[in-house]
This record gives sequence, structure tokens and C-alpha cells, in this order.
Amino acid sequence: MAGASNNVHRSIVTTESRSVRWLLTGLALLFIALFLVVPLASVFYEALRKGFGLYFQALVEPDALSAVKLTLIAALISVPLNLVFGVAAAWAIAKFEFRGKSVLITLIDLPFSVSPVVAGLIYVLMVGAQGWWGPWLIEHDIKIIFAIPGIVLATVFVTFPFVARELIPLMEAQGSEEEQAAMTLGASGWQTFWRVTLPNIKWGLLYGVILANARAMGEFGAVSVVSGHIRGETNTIPLHVEILYNEYNFVGAFACASLLALLALVTLALKSFVEWRAEKQAEAARRDATE
Amino acid sequence: MRRGFNPSLLPPHPSQGNPMSIEIKNINKRFGDFTALDNLNLDIASGELLALLGPSGCGKTTLLRIIAGLETPDQGQILFHGEDATDTHVRERQVGFVFQHYALFRHMTVFENVAFGLRVRPKKTRPTEAVIKKKVHDLLGLVQLDWLADRYPAQLSGGQRQRIALARALAVEPRVLLLDEPFGALDTKVRKELRRWLRRLHDEMHITSVFVTHDQEEALEVADRVVVMNKGKIEQIGTPEQVYDTPETPFVYQFLGDVNLFHSRVHEGWAEIGGARIEAPNSPNETTATVYVRPHEIDLSRDASDSAIAGVITHIRLLGATVRLEVEVAGHEAVEVELTRERYQDGAWRVGDPVWLNPREARVYTAG
Repeated sequence: MAGASNNVHRSIVTTESRSVRWLLTGLALLFIALFLVVPLASVFYEALRKGFGLYFQALVEPDALSAVKLTLIAALISVPLNLVFGVAAAWAIAKFEFRGKSVLITLIDLPFSVSPVVAGLIYVLMVGAQGWWGPWLIEHDIKIIFAIPGIVLATVFVTFPFVARELIPLMEAQGSEEEQAAMTLGASGWQTFWRVTLPNIKWGLLYGVILANARAMGEFGAVSVVSGHIRGETNTIPLHVEILYNEYNFVGAFACASLLALLALVTLALKSFVEWRAEKQAEAARRDATE
Repeated sequence: MRRGFNPSLLPPHPSQGNPMSIEIKNINKRFGDFTALDNLNLDIASGELLALLGPSGCGKTTLLRIIAGLETPDQGQILFHGEDATDTHVRERQVGFVFQHYALFRHMTVFENVAFGLRVRPKKTRPTEAVIKKKVHDLLGLVQLDWLADRYPAQLSGGQRQRIALARALAVEPRVLLLDEPFGALDTKVRKELRRWLRRLHDEMHITSVFVTHDQEEALEVADRVVVMNKGKIEQIGTPEQVYDTPETPFVYQFLGDVNLFHSRVHEGWAEIGGARIEAPNSPNETTATVYVRPHEIDLSRDASDSAIAGVITHIRLLGATVRLEVEVAGHEAVEVELTRERYQDGAWRVGDPVWLNPREARVYTAG
């Protein structure tokens, strides 16, 4: 009983008055409702306003299907690329000391600091018809800008940092002693990576991949510059949404937008699950350690 | 209740009867401007248990890592059993390395940790699953932790992790066992137990072993020979008795145990400190000298004497079996004297008593 009254006493000492608490909590909830919940709900509301029939019709229309397909292609190529690159870069940065390491870290962050539109323009400048390698590419009949390769390139660029950024702090915290131990036990570099390094980073890696995938599917600016907006050919879902909206086809625009919103919700759920798993693992280890 | 060490649980070991010697020749290692190892030479005999002892930053861990192949020397050679191993990759050196913080694989059970070295072998030499299972359980029995096979490292205590790390290192049948501060992260009681345990283990296996420590007590208790290092160089190599009883340099004298320092001058083969005369036969005449006296090598007397150091007791501290007195001496910093409990009670010493100090043993080091 003494303990309980102590707790009550302490909570009075360490918190604000009831009115302040209500005010602050209310403000925070209001802000979240206004800027996050209402817009999200409105997407689904607008999409379904004229019934499920029109909603599904808007989704299975050939141009919409082609946009979904292209978005999936871009994500399927760019996410694995970034996964491999991200692991390699994080491995190099976290486990080794070398000259130019800070330059490499800055370069990895570049896509975060550059506007996506600029990111798209870079590719137009390099491989566009008037670009540096444009004439050579035209000569050899290779289409990059206003075609799928351009969209993939732009997507790879903007999703570049996600996996590496997620892994570098994790790997730095873990150090390289386990890898050294594996080597003294006779493991090759490849065995060390698969049996020691990868299992230690798998949840962080998955987290980075989920974020990179969300960005790859939702990217607008960079892709918009290199795509050329050819209906049924070079439109991804975000670009398709814009076109439909500009044509006052609100049901179609919001139906496709709802796909992206759904993707966001699925991503959030996955992200929470991954975090929960990682946390549960750590917690179990801690609990058993103190038994 | 900890069970006793049972040598019959030992797995057969190929290095038994054929242990390995290590020669370290003219090794240099620098990290930027910092010289970690300065032209170092050391021979490690087959089957011995050697301690590398020194303060932090003396290069002892770097030397251990160079022997393992985890670090490359800038210059010099490492010979394993007479063969040059300088360019041999760590995974081919067949060394067992126990890391200071154990470096157990956190996502593997204890069993899988110990089995790791066997599982990563090339297909041709990889043992069958049944052999791996037996071997791992034998090793876990050896370190008396068979009942922890299914646990994860995070679920173990420090002492348990240490022993699993050792079992894991032994699983690959190393030719050399290297241990980096093996007991550094453990509390005093566990540390003392593990120390004796490691010594007994070594006596059974006779595998050439080198361990790094900054704890002189640990080195003196466990090792066959002690290498005292300072600033990338070896100060002295010898048995624990040799380095403790006949320290060759002032550094070794100070590092191995407590010491009182007196500044003096050598005059015709004698150094004088406050009346007491210490023999210094080999020191050049009229040179400044430092006299080292250990606290337990000083006799106390109530009788005034010209050939003793006069002082006054200022502090008395009871430390279990021994008693430490602090004696103020004119023109000198306080002198520490260590007595056994009985001698302290026989003398009935009290704070404020005048006292005359007589060094039984002392060493004189002249400058330069």
C-alpha cells in the first residue's frame, strides 16, 4: 500500500495539471486527424463515392493496369539493386577504415538532399536526345529517356540511400568482432557473410527494403521528368493519378491514388511488424539474461 | 554448485604430443604516429602457457592479434614451428582466439556457436552431423556447460560466455590458443575460479597458449612464463618468480606489486636513504639513483637507530589478513609499510607512534 501511495504522489509531482494534459493531448490528436487521418479517409471516400463498380472499372482499365505493371517493374528492379548496393556499402563503411569514407557517406546521402526533379533532369542531361550520350544512344537505337529504362534509373537514384542508411548505424554498433571470430574458426568471407553478418542485420535490412519499396512505388518528381507521360506506356501509378486528375476524372484519379494509399498502409503494417519482431527478440534476450 | 574439472571428458587432441612453438622476429607495428610494437623478438616454447603483461597501450593485444593473423606487422616475421606464417591468412593459421568480449554469435545457440568451426569446413573434411554433435557435447562437457546447449549467448552470464568462447575456439583443434584479456570483464570471484580452471585445462591439454592481461596477479598465478611489456617493447621475460623477485628494470619493479620510491645518490657503492644504507655495488660513483622498496619488505622498530629511516605513523588501514601503515618521513613522501596481522598486533602500533624503518630488501637503479 505504501508503494501505491508513493506512486500516486510521484505522478502528481512529475506531471502537469489535468487541464494542460488534456489541452496538449487534444492538440496533438487534432493535428494528426487534420493532417493525416482526414486526407487518407478522403482518398477512399472520393474513390468510392460513385460506387464499387466505377471504382473497380477505373482500376482494371488498360492504362491503369499498365501503370500498375510499370510501377511494379520499377520497384522489382530498383529494390533488389538497392538491397545489394546498400548491404555492400554499409559493410564497407561499418567494418573497414579507408580513405574517402566520409565522401562515400555524403554521396550515399545525395539523393536525399537533391530535389527529385533535379535527379530526373540529371538523366535527361546525360542520356536524353540532346544529352551527352544522346546521339550515340540514338545511333544504336537504345531508348532510355521517355522509356522504361529511364524510369528505372530515376527510381534507383531516389531510393539509393534507404537500405545503406538503415544498416550503417546497426552494423557500426555491432562491430566486427563476430566476423573476426568466424575467420579464426576457418570461415571464408562468403561463409562469414551468410552465416554471421546477414543473420545479425536481417531485421534492419528488411526495414530498409520496405522503406525503399514504398519510395520506389510512390516516387513522382524524378520519374515525371524522365517519363514523358505516354499513356499506357511510360506512366507509373503516381503519374497516372496526376493525368486523370488533370482531366477531371476524379473517380479514376482517387481510385488509383487509393492503391498508393493502400500501399502506404501495408508498408506501415509491415514496418510495425518488423519493428515488433526485432523488439520482441531483443526483449526476450534481455529477460532471459536477467533471470 | 560448480562441478570439479574432469580431464576424462577431454576430447582427443591432435596437438597433444605435438604442440607448437612460435617465433616472433623483429616485429614492428605502427598506427599512424603511434608505435605499437617496436622491433620485438619473442620465442614461445611448445606447450607453454605464456602471459603478455603490461599497462594498456603497451602493445600486448596488438602482438596477440599479429600472432593470430588478425593484424599484419609492418615489418618482421612470425614462425609457427619453424615455418614462416607471416603471410598465412588467419583462417589457415589454425589458431584458437578468445576475444575479450567473447564475440559469440548472438543469433546462434550455444551448440551452434561451438559447432560453427566444424560446419564451415570444406565438404571433404567436414565431419558428419553425428560426429559434430558428439564433439560439441564433449567440448561443452569439458567446459561444464552441457546443460546450456540450447540457450542463446544473451541468456548466459559473463563467466559462462567466457567458457563457451573457449569451447568454440577449441572445437577447431587449434595449434595455438590465444586469449585476449580472458578474465577482464568478470567479477573478482568468478575471475579467480576461471583462472585456476584455465590453468588446469592447460595442464591437461598442453596446447601452446598465450594470454594478454594487465593484471599482474593473474599473470603470476596462471602463467608458466611472463612477458612484461611497456611502450611496444619487452621489459623482461621470465618465470613468475623471476620477474617478481629479480625485476630487471624499474618499470617491472613498479608494475609487479606496490613499491616505495626513494631518491638518493650512490656514494662509493652505497646509496643512503634517511640513514639507512643500501648496497649498490655495481653503480657508478656519485650518480643519482632511485631506490625501490616493497611495502612488505620493511621492518619496523621502536628503537632509535642511525642506520634506519625515522618517521611517524600517520594512518593504519586493516585489509583483512594484512595491515598497511602509512609512515611520514621528513623530506620524503609518505612510506607504505605492510605487516601481517600478527606482527601488527605484536608491535601494538598506533597512529602517532615514532618509528624507525629498516628495509630488508631493496633495489637501486641508477639514472641512465
